[in-house]
Order: sequence, then structure tokens, then C-alpha cells
Amino acid sequence: MSSASLTDNRTVDVDRLVDRKLVLYFYLASLTYLFISMLGGLLMAFQLIRHNPLSGIEIFSPGRWRMVHTNAIAYGFLANALLGSMFWAVPRLTLRPVLSRLLSWFIFIAWQGVVLATAGGILLGQAQGLEWGETPTWIDPVALLGLALVVLNFLPSIVMTKGPLYVTLWYFMAALVWTFLTYAMGNFMPEYFVSGSAAGAVGGLFIHDLVGLFVTPIGWGLMYYFVPILLKKPIWSHGLSLVGFWGLAFFYPLQGIHHFLYTPIPMFLQYGAVISTIAVELVVASVIINFFGTLRGSGSAFITNLPIRWFYTGMIFYFLTCLQCAFQTTLTFQAIIHFTDWVVGHAHLVMFGVFGLWIQGIMTYLMPRLIGHEWYSRRLCEWHFWLSAISLAAMATDLIAGGLVQGHVWRALLPWDVSIEASMPFWVVRVFTGLGMFAGQIVFYVNIYRTFQLAQQGAPEAAPAARPALVGA
Amino acid sequence: MNQTTSAPPRNRRARVMTAVFALVILIPSMLGFIAKFIEFIAVFRGQGEGSFAVTPMVNYLLATTGFFCLFGWALLHGMFREIEAPKQRMLETEEWLVRQEAASDSM
Ligand code: HEM
Repeated sequence: MSSASLTDNRTVDVDRLVDRKLVLYFYLASLTYLFISMLGGLLMAFQLIRHNPLSGIEIFSPGRWRMVHTNAIAYGFLANALLGSMFWAVPRLTLRPVLSRLLSWFIFIAWQGVVLATAGGILLGQAQGLEWGETPTWIDPVALLGLALVVLNFLPSIVMTKGPLYVTLWYFMAALVWTFLTYAMGNFMPEYFVSGSAAGAVGGLFIHDLVGLFVTPIGWGLMYYFVPILLKKPIWSHGLSLVGFWGLAFFYPLQGIHHFLYTPIPMFLQYGAVISTIAVELVVASVIINFFGTLRGSGSAFITNLPIRWFYTGMIFYFLTCLQCAFQTTLTFQAIIHFTDWVVGHAHLVMFGVFGLWIQGIMTYLMPRLIGHEWYSRRLCEWHFWLSAISLAAMATDLIAGGLVQGHVWRALLPWDVSIEASMPFWVVRVFTGLGMFAGQIVFYVNIYRTFQLAQQGAPEAAPAARPALVGA
Repeated sequence: MNQTTSAPPRNRRARVMTAVFALVILIPSMLGFIAKFIEFIAVFRGQGEGSFAVTPMVNYLLATTGFFCLFGWALLHGMFREIEAPKQRMLETEEWLVRQEAASDSM
């Protein structure tokens, strides 16, 4: 056992600071759900090109699979990976373990129960009529309780930290509270308290806040932690990072209505959403400048250091999605792209291209330390990266282009069939790009499995505590 | 391990950038907020379409009030003093941890 004293008279038990096994389990659960979700995505993609292999089986009907696809991504893949990474980062940043090990394991098991029940409920036709909140209504209170326990587990170590907080901890603290409130707002208000287009407006806030107030702050918080420790230099400007944080806090919650431009929602609310979206664009620019400022002088790390490559590729995609948003938020542009595959392309670009890539970068860095052995194959790690990044870029480009075609066909008031036929080539390409992304994951799973095997055999090349070989810079 | 690191020499360019971004972000956003507030008052004056908007607006105002309080608390507790110091401390903490882990591994 290794414990060491700090100048504030605390003793840190370094070996027990992070529960590595728990982090590993969160990651394995996350990757399992990614696999299931991708299967669902592929099935839906085949359905759209009229080749559904499970045609006629009610519980596997495409509408249900689509919901499994999106929910498994949000609550299975992203939530597990982000929580696992927080279980790594928070104790290391605060030098305090989380509130309780037992509670942490309870949260892990309970969360898997929530996700599996959600998937089961959806397949059995009990979905709630709220986009991204399809979790059957009877699971909502349990999920909310789970989120409350997460807050309880993490918050004490953060608030007990003395002195000015590092930006990552600001993001985490806010995300913990935001996620709880967002989940409550989205799942309970439209269900029990408001109806009609008011419920629609709350639904818009919910889907956007889920991305912006849960995934985004934890994602950026993790980047502010992992990028400096991998580059071995501090973030370019901590002040600027705080501007980004407070900017997100004040202006993000306003913009959910931008999903509902041209709907019966009053125009002044729609304009408000457009203005706050522009404000957030500027916040985002400040964050990106900060990260690229940090990379300056260490540019070669982008090539030699694989986790850094995952992170910065994700940031480039982030910049592209925000650039898209700048266009998307204008009413002129909305008139063409609304309801088209442009939006689906945008969704994949941000969910997989940004957060998916960051998560996989973090896993590429941490897995050897969690498993206790260096990666089985660096070449497989490279394949994982290139298959994922290239296929995703191709899928997003394909869907964005397809969306523009659909929008113009609809504007020309041509029959619906015409727009379906025009979309078909784009949907075929989506199947192939999806298979590429899927292949990238299979390569990753094989690499993880072989690394486990090496660790179990006690093969000599154990992972050094500090720097796995992929961290080349 | 030294937990009380002094702040590094200030990077003038970073400070200027911070100030410029703070202004560029705050001004349009303030305008957006004021516009929202005027509309909120209109709601209570009984405009037909207004009552509908109360739910999302109240949501926003509640969330923002919470953050405003947090911001005030952070300001009063010196969270923005020595604003660049946490980034150095974070790196030192991590390096210290890595050293401890390496020592523990080799035992
Ligand atoms: C094997 C790879 C994948 C394929 C083939 C695929 C395919 C699809 C399809 C067909 C849809 C429904 C589109 C529609 O209703 O018109 C969809 C929606 C969606 N997918 Fe995927 N997907 C894949 C991977 C992913 C991944 C890895 C993520 C996130 C990390 C993701 C996130 C989403 C989201 C957020 C939506 C909802 C989009 C919206 O409603 O606008 N997908 N996907």
C-alpha cells in the first residue's frame, strides 16, 4: 500500500484513491452498449434501403430499434463512459476518493439496470413519447434517484477542495446538478404538468440540454484534464477556460427552442433561441482557441500521441459541428434543412465524431493502465482510429449532402416518392460507412480482449503506471 | 508535495484574449437576455401567445438565478484570484500521483 502526506496534513492513500476495477467495468459496459446501439443503427439503415433482415418481427420493428439505437448511445455508451472517466479524474484532481466505494458499485449496477430496463421497455412498446426521453415512465423516478446518488457520491470531494477550483471541477460540478435538473424537467414536465406546444418547447429544451448540459460539460471537463497531462503542459489560458464555462452556464439553457424554428412556438422565443445560439458559438470558439493554443509548440503530438490524436480530431469535428450550427440556426437555412438527413448527419458528427472520439481516446490511454498491460497491438489501435474517424467523416458528409438534396426536393413540392428515390444512394452509402465504424469497434474489442489475455498470462510487458507506449510525445 | 504553488508570470496576450472574449460574448448575450426579459414582461401584460412561453422562461430564469448565486459565491470566495494558478497545481498533482504510483508499483 502506498500513502503519502500533503502539506495540508492529509494523508492520501494513493492505491485506494481510484477504484480502477470500477472504471474498467464502466468502460466495458459502455462498449457493450455501443455494440448494441451500432447493431440497431445498422438495422435501421438496412430498413431504410428496404433490406430489413428482421422484417415482420414486432419487437424488433424499426421504430423500436431506432429508439434503442439512440437511447443505448445516450444512457448506455456515453453515460457509462463519462461516469467511468469521472471516477478516474475526480479523485485524482481533488486527491480525495469519492464518497463511498460501495455506493459507487451500487450506482454502477443500478445504472445498468436502468439502461437494460429502458431497452426492454422500448422493445416491448412502452416508450414514453418524448424524444431522447423514451425511457418508460415507470423507470424515470428510478433513473432520477440514480442521478441523485451520483451527485451525492461526487460532490463532497469537489466542494471540499480548497482554493480556486480547476476548470474541470467547475464543469463536473455544474454537470452533476444540470443533468439531474434536465432529466427531471424533460421527463416529468411534459408528461404530467404541461401539454401541447408548451410541452413541445420543454421537449426541445430537454434534448438540447441533455447534450449541452450533461455530455458537453463532462466531455470538455475531461479534455481539460487529459490534454494537459498528456502534453505535459498546462492549458493555454485558465482564465479563458473559465469564460467558456460561465458562458455555457448562462447562455446554453436558452437555446433549446432552436430545434423548433418555424413551429407554432411564438416567434419571439424562436428569435431568443437564435441569439443565444450565436452567443454560445462565441463561447465555443473561445474553448477551441484555448485548446489549439495549448497544442502550439507540441504539434507533433497530434501524430505521435494516439490519445491526443483522438482528442484533437474530436475537437476539429466539434468546430465543424458548431460551424454547421451557425448556419443551421438561421431561419433561411432552416427552411431547407429542417426534418432532413442534414440533422441526422449533424447528430452523428457531434455524438460520435466529438464525444465518441474523445471517449475512445480516453479509453486508448487508460485501458492499458486499467488492465495492467500494454496494448496487445499498436497497429490495431491505429486501425481502430482510422476506421472510426474516416467512416464517421464519410457518414456525416453523406448525410449532410443527402439532407440538402431532400430539402430541395421538398421545397420544389415534388411527390414524396421522388425524395425517397433521391435519398436512396445516400442511404446506401450510410450502410457502408456504418459498417466501417462497426469494423473499427470490432478491431478495438479484439485488441482489448488480447490485451486482457496477455495480462492474465502475466506477460512481461506490463503497462507502466504513468505512460503507456501509445503516448509517444 | 508542495500544494501551494505561486502563480506563473502572467501571460499578457492570454489576458487580453480573455478580456476580448469576455466582451464579445457578454455584450450580444446581455442584449439577448434583455430582449428576453422585455418579452417576459409582455407575457404578464396578457399577450395572447405569451402565456404559453412562461414554462420555458421560468425554467431558464430559475437555472440562471442559481448560476448567478454560484458566480457571486465564487467571486466572494476568491475563485478568480490568481486565475492561472489552478492549471499549474493540477499538473503538479498529477505528476506527484504518477510518481507515487510508480514507487508503489516497484515495491
Ligand atoms: C454502425 C453505425 C451507425 C449506423 C449505421 C447508424 C444509423 C442511424 C440511423 C439509420 C438513424 C436513424 C435516422 C433516421 O431516423 O432517419 C440514426 C440515428 C441516430 N444515430 Fe446512428 N448510426 C450509427 C452509429 C451511431 C453512433 C456511434 C452514434 C453516437 C455515438 C449515433 C447517434 C445517432 C443519433 C444521435 C441519432 C438520432 C439522429 C436524429 O434524430 O436526428 N449513431 N443512426
